[in-house]
Amino acid sequence: MAHIRLENINLTFFVKQDTGFTLKDFLVGGFFRKHYKPPMQVQALDNLNLEIHDGQKLGVIGHNGAGKSTLLKMMAGIYKPTSGIRDVNGRISSLFDIALGFEQEATGWENIRFRCYLQGETPASVRSKQNEIAEFSELGEFLDMPVRFYSAGMRVRLAFSIATAINPEILLIDEVLSAGDLAFQAKAHERMRHMIARARLMVMVSHDLDSTARLCDRIAWLEHGKIRQIGPAAEMVKAYREWSHNSSGKGKNKTGGTVTTAA
Amino acid sequence: MKNYLQEIWRTRYFWLALVHMDIRARYRGSALGLGWSLLNPIAMTGIFCVVFATLFQQNIATFAPYALTGLTLWNFISQTMAMGCNTFHQAEAYIRQHPVPMAIYPLRLVLANAFHLMIALVLAIILATWGTGFAGVLPLLSLIPSLCLIVVMGWSVACLLGLMNVYFRDVKHLTDVGLQVVMYLTPIWYPEKLLREKGLAWLVNANPLVPFLHLVRAPLLDHQMPDLETYGAALLVASAFFLLAAWSLKAREPKLIYFL
Repeated sequence: MAHIRLENINLTFFVKQDTGFTLKDFLVGGFFRKHYKPPMQVQALDNLNLEIHDGQKLGVIGHNGAGKSTLLKMMAGIYKPTSGIRDVNGRISSLFDIALGFEQEATGWENIRFRCYLQGETPASVRSKQNEIAEFSELGEFLDMPVRFYSAGMRVRLAFSIATAINPEILLIDEVLSAGDLAFQAKAHERMRHMIARARLMVMVSHDLDSTARLCDRIAWLEHGKIRQIGPAAEMVKAYREWSHNSSGKGKNKTGGTVTTAA
Repeated sequence: MKNYLQEIWRTRYFWLALVHMDIRARYRGSALGLGWSLLNPIAMTGIFCVVFATLFQQNIATFAPYALTGLTLWNFISQTMAMGCNTFHQAEAYIRQHPVPMAIYPLRLVLANAFHLMIALVLAIILATWGTGFAGVLPLLSLIPSLCLIVVMGWSVACLLGLMNVYFRDVKHLTDVGLQVVMYLTPIWYPEKLLREKGLAWLVNANPLVPFLHLVRAPLLDHQMPDLETYGAALLVASAFFLLAAWSLKAREPKLIYFL
């Protein structure tokens, strides 16, 4: 039984300022205690509690910077929580930044193997999958070329084809619904749906409210690193739309107001 | 600890495939291919033989394998250190996508370099056999554990430099300068005896790389197992660096991603 349980999770980021902390800063700052800029801290997740059980498909929505991607990366184990309990049962497959991380000098075929190994496959299982991946990507003989010669669209196609060739237990998805040209996108959506159907548990982050509502049964609305509201998908999308609409209206009024006062 | 090692083992296909690619990629497209990892030390040994065998009044038959073993090991050390600085930066995209143990990234680097070291060592064995005769089975077999020690040392240094370079970008440039200095301070191609005779024995004794040179040179040049003192020193240096690297990685790994 797959599950994810998060209890009182806090996550604080360190963000380096401009050029970073050089050895000079260290020596000078160490001796004279000045010029030293400590890394900025950002509280990305704030005392967050969440429980997802086997069979559930959860969507995460919220405006930019609400902590959606951080939440997903924390579930995946890439970011360690600063405090709190992260209890995950099941093998995690994640689709983040999939267009990154190709070995530029290696061919498409080789990169298929590297990615599959990274996703936990073995040489035997890769052999049985690689032809299907190649076929879906429609890259044909380009696969014999080093990836450095690929266009951005070709890279995304290859990345998407590899990333979705898995049999996930827990599936974490961050904004990968738009891959390639229109014809490919239709295919990609279909493949995505199949993969999601195979997963025991899914969490996805997307700004596309309609597809989130279609693919998920529950939606969590994130704000300032906290869950503002969680509930059935259709209801949440409606609530979020209303709120977005109202607040953008309010925002305008507010700005107008400030200008008048200033004048 | 046990879990961490299990994770490294579980991801073995991934890093072994990368090592395999690194080995092939280095000379991809060049006509000589792997020959380059032989040609570099051969050419340098040739030059040193012409110049220094005369200058230091050395016998070519012993000086050539001496210089070649030194250069072979030095190439491994300097490349591991220079590339080690970038080991985590290079892996940034992987680190951002999958939580795999970060120890595999310096491992990837050191294994690819160890492959080139082994090829050059085979050449050194051939040259030494030509110059000084067959070393004997036992001394040659002693190269295997020695090589393991050298790989452990290489991993530790690459890991430490990689971690330091994430926090201070200057480390890479410092390493380049430092390598130049160390190269002249280490008896790589000039005879170690020379330093000892001129009263600079402390310079040899204080150099942590010297025990590793002895590990390789004792069997090839003197036809004997390295002595206990050499093993002790190499083991001490390698385990000190390894513990420091493992401890630093353990302390830094969870937060490293924020600084990449």
